[in-house]
Amino acid sequence: MFEFLFKYPLAIFQKGKFVLLSGWPVWLLLVLIAVAGGALFWNIRRRPVLSSMRSTAIWLAQTALIALVLLLLWHPAISVARLRPQENVVAVLLDHSRSMGIADTGTPRLRNAEEVLNGQLLPELNKRFQVRMYEFGRDAVRIDQARNLVADDNATRIGDSLKHIASEAGTMPLGAIVVMSDGGDNTGGVDRDTIEQLRQLRIPVHTIGFGPDHFAKDIEIVDVAAPARALVQSRLSARVAIRQHGYAGQTVKLIVRENDHPLAEQAIVLKPDAEQSETVVFNAGAAGAHSFQIGVVPMPGEQNDRNNSVVRLVSVVPKKMRILYMEGEPRWEYKFIRRALEDDQSIEIVTILRTTQNKIYRQGTRDEHELENGFPAKAEELFKYDGLIIGSVEANYFSPEQQNMIRDFADKRGGGVLFLAGRFALSDGGYEKTPMAEMMPLRLAKEKTWSRDFATASLTDAGRESVICRIEEDRTQNAARWQKMPQIANYAVMGAPKPGAVVLMNVAEAGHRPSPLLAIQNYGHGRVGVFATAGSWRWKMLQDHTDKTHSMFWSQLLRWLVTETPGPVQASTPRQVLSDDTRVPLRVSVRDKNYDIVSGATVQTMVSRPDGGSDTVDLKPDPLEPGMYIGEYTADKPGTYVAETSAHQDKTDLGSDALTFRREDGVAENFGAAQNRDLLEKLSRDTGGNYYTSSNARRLSGEVAISEAGITAHDNLDIWDMPIVFLLVILIRGGEWLLRRKWGVV
Amino acid sequence: MRFRIAILAVLLFCCFSALLAFQARFKEYSGEEDNPAPVPKDAFELTEWTFARLRYPSGRYAGYSGERGSWPTDFPKADRQFLQGVRRLTRIHTRSTEQVIDLINDAQEIYNWPWTYAVEVGHWDLTDEQCMLLREYLLRGGFLMVDDFHGTFEWDVFTQSMSRVFPDRAIVEIPDADPIFHTVYDLEQRVQVPGLQYLYSHRICEKCENGGKEPHWRAIYDDDGRVMVAMCFNQDDGDAWEHADNPQYEAKYTSQAYRLGINYVIYAMTH
Repeated sequence: MFEFLFKYPLAIFQKGKFVLLSGWPVWLLLVLIAVAGGALFWNIRRRPVLSSMRSTAIWLAQTALIALVLLLLWHPAISVARLRPQENVVAVLLDHSRSMGIADTGTPRLRNAEEVLNGQLLPELNKRFQVRMYEFGRDAVRIDQARNLVADDNATRIGDSLKHIASEAGTMPLGAIVVMSDGGDNTGGVDRDTIEQLRQLRIPVHTIGFGPDHFAKDIEIVDVAAPARALVQSRLSARVAIRQHGYAGQTVKLIVRENDHPLAEQAIVLKPDAEQSETVVFNAGAAGAHSFQIGVVPMPGEQNDRNNSVVRLVSVVPKKMRILYMEGEPRWEYKFIRRALEDDQSIEIVTILRTTQNKIYRQGTRDEHELENGFPAKAEELFKYDGLIIGSVEANYFSPEQQNMIRDFADKRGGGVLFLAGRFALSDGGYEKTPMAEMMPLRLAKEKTWSRDFATASLTDAGRESVICRIEEDRTQNAARWQKMPQIANYAVMGAPKPGAVVLMNVAEAGHRPSPLLAIQNYGHGRVGVFATAGSWRWKMLQDHTDKTHSMFWSQLLRWLVTETPGPVQASTPRQVLSDDTRVPLRVSVRDKNYDIVSGATVQTMVSRPDGGSDTVDLKPDPLEPGMYIGEYTADKPGTYVAETSAHQDKTDLGSDALTFRREDGVAENFGAAQNRDLLEKLSRDTGGNYYTSSNARRLSGEVAISEAGITAHDNLDIWDMPIVFLLVILIRGGEWLLRRKWGVV
Repeated sequence: MRFRIAILAVLLFCCFSALLAFQARFKEYSGEEDNPAPVPKDAFELTEWTFARLRYPSGRYAGYSGERGSWPTDFPKADRQFLQGVRRLTRIHTRSTEQVIDLINDAQEIYNWPWTYAVEVGHWDLTDEQCMLLREYLLRGGFLMVDDFHGTFEWDVFTQSMSRVFPDRAIVEIPDADPIFHTVYDLEQRVQVPGLQYLYSHRICEKCENGGKEPHWRAIYDDDGRVMVAMCFNQDDGDAWEHADNPQYEAKYTSQAYRLGINYVIYAMTH
């Protein structure tokens, strides 16, 4: 219809430029229109037979007609760059990844694509262009014909394939690229560099999408957020994003497995909204690299059950994290915290206790010199610890330098700091005006709020989800257990939580409003918590001696405090599990003993391959982030890799760190198997091409010629003879006649 | 009418809940005091720690103390004088008055007081239930200091009950290097602390001919090597606290009794 009225396809108007070919000045056209409009206005006003409103309508119709006629005299046209016939190459890329083998409507997508291509498209293209065909998955490979291709590639990398084709543009007149795909790209989309390269070459990418936007009956694990590192026998919490179609309201089993052995199970109800997020808790186990398979058990009738689980790699480190606990007065909480951590293989607690006015009592020190002068006076000494607990110690017991060091312990060093309540702690201890108050997740009251009344601790919604408060694996049983917990012996009333803080527990004394009891937040590079009591010891003394509630709670709280605490050298990668991918970006942060940035270090990573061999990667400073060193490793074979990074400067060993990652093949194509129409539309839009479906792909043969790449000619296409113009003249003139007739002035 | 009843029920429930929310407070045992002392103004202050005295049955071994039993020996003066010392010499938030833990009528209250003291345990006679409770208390993290028992007979009476608390654990001498002798004061050099009787008998030991001559600092340890029960055998620290204000009672004994008691309290609060 559009083409009938406007003579040319829509793409001509979208890509072309409007021009006037008469050569007469445009200002003259405007003056003539204005003069004609003025004369008509004068004529109508001279003989006023209609009301002013009706006169204006007649004047507008007459003026519009004259303006249109004048415009046609100026010879309007569309100037568009078009590929010269028989002189250009059009590249056709056919996706042959495994997802193209899915038979959505009885026929595999790849067969559909072949039919579309070989039916009308290819013969039309062949008439005017030299067509080069490629099949692509991980990379593009030239093919002679697109018949009976096999959908067997384990990955789709549209960006890499386009880059490969674009690189050939220098050796041939490449006029356009046609991508026939379901858009199931496994790299997260087409990268900006590739788009920029195509735009510079002015090569339009036209896309033809195959497959449905979503399956009618499918459950897919969209993502799983799990920590990359954990301490031995830690409880881990994984946040699982699930998308479903066709199973709303049904109960499915969320399960965590390792080597097919189930570690945790949880029943969840699928919500009507397409995507939901669930938390599952499980044990990290012994030291080593663990591959956890996290997902939902397939439901009957699922169209694709290979996207029901994903693998996450967790490095369980055998490291013993050291926490310094400074306590200002002998208290039961101190004793029972120490006892709670006695059997913890991953946490070592070192304590300083002020027993008398002028004596300290140290426990857990490695030798007689450790902390012999009390709380560390130098950052280098304090930053050796991974976590810090501040008990009932007056704020002014710490010098201003020490107060800043405590703040820097979290902010700069990346450690965890936990503040406990007490008669000399928090607002009762004068912390309000110190740098330590800044770092706390809760605001401090201005008055003293410490109370030795018994009170009940209750979990908040966040607390019910948090691994810190998870005593029982099962969420419901855990909530029931907390309801039966003995009362705590004391507490401090805290102010409101700060933005970004998460309150895990409240305390409610009979007849009082609940006050935050346990709150946590990230602060700078580290973490800070406030546990506004020193009375959790009753969870031990008021329960059977075999009960592990108290020790589990403290172990989990303190593991949260220190698990993420980095060493001076900290290696990371955003892609620990490579699904049908090979490239591993490596990032290493290098600091000195004071955790100041180190520039000019020599940083090297030795990667142990699954076959027993090893490779070395030299990392270079990241120009955008001082103290960060970056590099890339190519994992050639599937399996688990261990990367050990070391950093040196002037023969000084700055430290080392180990990292594991895993390459898995045959997985990526199971996910996002429905058509990713957004990606295909965006790709064509960003490069000046168009998106087509299999049903309207025949239009492509007419529109593909519009391109500024390759060998082109600029054509001026007349538009004065468009049917719409004549229709417009008739409509204006006919409309005026009808109005005059209606108003009786014909 | 129903609305009023409902409100009344809610108010009663709140009051009852509030009562349950508190642990036992200071209470006087007027008829059972061995050496009365004035009740200070801050007797009811809520603190971290106080001297928790075990009110146990003497049963078959009541002896001269009669129906009252031996539990309140030196009570409450010894307790309150020791508390003054703890207040002055340490940073423990300490109440001025003792807390009696009534093992006979309100045994569960013991779990709120992780440090307890029992005197004259050569005259205690625990029931099986009390033994089980004491065992559970100690395994959860409680600490028991026993004092003022002398000679073979009283040792045997003490162990008759104690062996039912822990049939599987040995009673051993505490080595000088044990942290319990070093938490605040280094107490490697210790003397036998006599009861008040030494002022009249001029003998440091009691029941000297019947196994009371040598002082012993003995203990039962838990599986992690921590003292659960600390025994001051053939000595009387309670008298030393009680008579700390007696010019005739020698300061060296009082000093050691205070130091030892403070070490035991701090040890219980740190191990």
